[in-house]
Amino acid sequence: MAGYVLKRLGLALLVALAVSMIAFLLLRLSGDPATAIAGEGATQVDIDLIRHTYGFDRPLPVQYLSWVGQLVRGDLGDSIYFKTPTGPLILGKLKTTLLLGVMALAFALLVSIPLGVLAAIYRNSWIDRLCLALAVVGQALPNFFFALLLIMLFSISLRVLPVSGSDSWLHFVMPTVALGYYVAPAFMRLVRAGMIEVLEADYIRTARAKGLSTMQVIFKHALRNAVVPVVALSAVQLGYLLGGSVVIETIFALDGLGYLAYQSITFKDFPVMQVIVLLLSVIYVLLTLASDIANAWLDPRIRVA
Amino acid sequence: MSFASPRRSFARLAACAAVIAGTLAAAPTLAARKDDTLRFAYDQAPESVDPYFNNVRIGVILGANVWDTLVFRDPDTNEYKGQLAKSWKQVDDRTIDFELREGIKFHNGEPFDADSVVYTLNFIGDAANKVTAQQNVNWIEKAEKLGPYQVRLRTKKVFPAAIEFLAGPVVIHPAKYYKEVGPKGMNAKPVGTGPYRVTNYTPGKSISLERNPDYFKESPKGVPKIAKVEIRFIPDRQTQMAEALSGGTDFIMHVPKDQAEQAATVPHLQVVSGETMRIVFMQINSQDGTPAPQLKDVRVRKAIIHAIDREGIAKNLVGAGSRVLHTNCFPSQFGCTDEGAPRYKYDPALAKKLLAEAGFPNGFETTIVAYRERHQTEALINNLQAVGIRAKLNFLQYAAMRESIRANKEQLTHQTWGSFSVNDVSASTPNYFAFEGEDITRDPEVRDLLLQGNNSIDPEARKKAYKQALTLIAERAYAVPLWSLPVFYVGAKELTFKAYPDELVRFWEMSWK
Amino acid sequence: MPGSTPASALPEVAVILPEDLPRSRLPGRIRRNTALLAGGGLLLLILLVALLAPWLSPHDPYAQDLVNRTAPPVWMDRGSWLHPLGTDPLGRDYLSRLLYGARISLLIGISVAIISGLIGTAMGMLAGYFGGRTDMLVSFLVTTRLSMPVILVALATVALVGGSLWVVILVLGLLKWDRFAVVMRSATQQVRSLDYVAAAQSAGASTPRILLGEVLPNVMPHLIVVATLEAASAILLEAALSFLGLGVQPPLPSWGLMISEAKAYMFFSFWLIAIPGTALAVLIFAINLCGDGLHDLLSPEGRS
Repeated sequence: MAGYVLKRLGLALLVALAVSMIAFLLLRLSGDPATAIAGEGATQVDIDLIRHTYGFDRPLPVQYLSWVGQLVRGDLGDSIYFKTPTGPLILGKLKTTLLLGVMALAFALLVSIPLGVLAAIYRNSWIDRLCLALAVVGQALPNFFFALLLIMLFSISLRVLPVSGSDSWLHFVMPTVALGYYVAPAFMRLVRAGMIEVLEADYIRTARAKGLSTMQVIFKHALRNAVVPVVALSAVQLGYLLGGSVVIETIFALDGLGYLAYQSITFKDFPVMQVIVLLLSVIYVLLTLASDIANAWLDPRIRVA
Repeated sequence: MSFASPRRSFARLAACAAVIAGTLAAAPTLAARKDDTLRFAYDQAPESVDPYFNNVRIGVILGANVWDTLVFRDPDTNEYKGQLAKSWKQVDDRTIDFELREGIKFHNGEPFDADSVVYTLNFIGDAANKVTAQQNVNWIEKAEKLGPYQVRLRTKKVFPAAIEFLAGPVVIHPAKYYKEVGPKGMNAKPVGTGPYRVTNYTPGKSISLERNPDYFKESPKGVPKIAKVEIRFIPDRQTQMAEALSGGTDFIMHVPKDQAEQAATVPHLQVVSGETMRIVFMQINSQDGTPAPQLKDVRVRKAIIHAIDREGIAKNLVGAGSRVLHTNCFPSQFGCTDEGAPRYKYDPALAKKLLAEAGFPNGFETTIVAYRERHQTEALINNLQAVGIRAKLNFLQYAAMRESIRANKEQLTHQTWGSFSVNDVSASTPNYFAFEGEDITRDPEVRDLLLQGNNSIDPEARKKAYKQALTLIAERAYAVPLWSLPVFYVGAKELTFKAYPDELVRFWEMSWK
Repeated sequence: MPGSTPASALPEVAVILPEDLPRSRLPGRIRRNTALLAGGGLLLLILLVALLAPWLSPHDPYAQDLVNRTAPPVWMDRGSWLHPLGTDPLGRDYLSRLLYGARISLLIGISVAIISGLIGTAMGMLAGYFGGRTDMLVSFLVTTRLSMPVILVALATVALVGGSLWVVILVLGLLKWDRFAVVMRSATQQVRSLDYVAAAQSAGASTPRILLGEVLPNVMPHLIVVATLEAASAILLEAALSFLGLGVQPPLPSWGLMISEAKAYMFFSFWLIAIPGTALAVLIFAINLCGDGLHDLLSPEGRS
């Protein structure tokens, strides 16, 4: 087990490096940060001064290695736009995005697991179709449209929820639904398929023959095994939620990592962008590692060598 | 088999939307009034609250509310009055002496005197300190203390707009505090002399302001009436409007014309609009090495101007308060005039004739770059299309567009320019016609005239030089002056506020009805 | 097990090979598969509308009319049959733009599915067929790709080269191949062990021939299922990119761009966003329905 984990950690490092290199290349190629920093109405002299001060005139490999060197020494650099250290800046926003991501995932699971179970039990009936449709409908709208519809209904018409901000848990209700609803269908299909496979397996028929009620069968045996791929998918989807929350954060003014990333790209704030990409890739790989370990623990049959 | 019907839910929501105006209650706004708090939503958070280290409008607004300047320009009369300075005197064409007011304190208790003025001016004038908007400060050579309340300021060159800048972006910081904590500390805990002081600042999220109880009564700004201001950063314009509609905010700005007109029908909201100093114009790349050599022909350029229905677009698209311009400056700016400049009327037939004369009977392909007011760009493209000029739109972020223009990659541009609210032609026209980075015309005659205007102290000489330059630009059709942009504010009905051409939000003047 | 759940070591996706399907009952199963029929029917309708757009549109979708901006659709007061679905903020006929927009949205969905499908299938088949180092490399590439958030990469790329229809298609196509790779890999692994593949190998057939001639036809159905899901996702991503200002450029009437532009009028002129929004939702819905139907057709539990 330990060897497996070590190998996976090594892989995580490799992936993180690869991602950071790609991000670095993309960002540097995407434009001249000096002009962005200089702002409206700056002269060429100003821009050249800025370019030299920040070292943007050095060759690309040198810039990259210098960044990696800094990273290894624990120096995450300073935000060019906000002029504060990158680390605390990102950490502050990470909290909000993490909270949002976890809540969205929880919401998605809350909706999709019962729907998936229902669909599996009554498979191929109209209930099955209804559950599928319910899950899929939320996914058919662009997420910003869906979010604004929620605002129209709950904030403007009904006045029960605040529009934007992140001060209270009420502020997180709509963002959670808007973000979480999008990943629900994948889970629903997974749970449904997993449940169906398990419900028809031998040991379930044995349990039934032994006289256990359907409910007991479902919750004690079937669900536990159907949940294995859900855990794996959760890791992937959490990774996606963390990286894909830009739109939701923008609309609900949630000041999280997604919005910071968007600002960094807009303002060519490379130090911040690079650290964000690195962070997200590390989180993603660690999450998948964690989910593999959890799966191995849940179902000894899939302990991989 | 039953499927949830998207159509039905849309119809239901459409009905909801249709009755929004009628079902809105005024209760939430009354709650804000009780705390005497003005809630203001703005889209972009500043990179730093220190006015010298940001480049956004909210930074300028905070600068005016939390800090003061030596001189004050009355927005209605354009007259200069003393603010932190009691009086000033032009000693020679590069030196100004100031007599400062006594008895003023900064928000942290530090007394205001010559030390603060000297330290601030020397700090910002030093390029090594990397003040963001260099053109606001790079004219300062040195400030020296002549007495406890007397300061002498020397400019690098003859700089007639000095007083204008000292009445605008150049705010005064407390010497002791600024020396100690620098811009980083000033950003973390802002300190000025202004009518409001900062009580809380969460970067990227919100800023809380509170009335300065010790604000000096002689200030031409006057004492603020509203006790607190709560600024929240909401990046999405629709979310801002949603907040206004649901009573979650009292004041939003930069509302697009169409939404402002609709918001005016909502019972608990009011809309105030006004012209701003922001001018809109189309640059034409006629410099050497331009990617579109056909633009070097003056007939082609004149055709472009004739092809555009400026009156129509300004009236229908831009909105009330905008006016069509004939020269590349804002009319209220010192030195700006369109007297003697040729008028190009909207005449697509004439445009086609000119194009044919120039050898393009079937028009030509070109590109146009823009970064805001996309509807206007599309209307422009449409007008050009009608005379055969097929322009492809390249819509970019501001920084990317500037880079591309500087690299001589763009053919036509759809530009706007606010002159940093400085009321002098030296802050607008030379930026695009005096061989700076974004000058894609590069006519040395025009440049020389503009520099002449920039560097004379005699107002009449300046006006003459600027007029000649502006007329030349118009005669040679180097650019297409389009219109001025109005700004629309949407606020709660109970709020009293006024729109000014400098787009500055003066919290100290606002009050509840 | 359906639904790719890539961990660092790519999972085994249980795929049913067409030869295992009860062929004889296939037509009957198709007929009873309401999802496939409904979805397919809707898709065909939209495709038809897109193809016939020039003949069905009452006006030129690019013709501006600044005096007649945001006119309401015919069923509201002040609406008229001159513009049955009203006009947009520049006075262009909304019905015409909607019809032409179908072309753009379909083009995006299909192109992205093809590009990402080619890349992902190639990678997946190679990984599944050769195993070993190739498999490890592909696995590494997939993990790397998955740890990069699509939106941010798309943002950065579009900031690099500017937004346009083909940039959007290319960027999305070059990013969305991961699910193809995972599913094709599993499918190929299973096919690899089949008799006739072994026969082809011992007969000395070249690898490309085996891959294209024997493996590909057998994994094709799964390819199609994944393709439908990726097409739907691509269309929605284009809308998100337009929202962030980096998608298709005006005056192109893509539904995603129309929705994103109409968002500014949402609270007062709801139809401007509701019309393209509904159209998009119906399209996505149809695609997903098709995909689900196809999937049911190919999975063991579909038989009851």
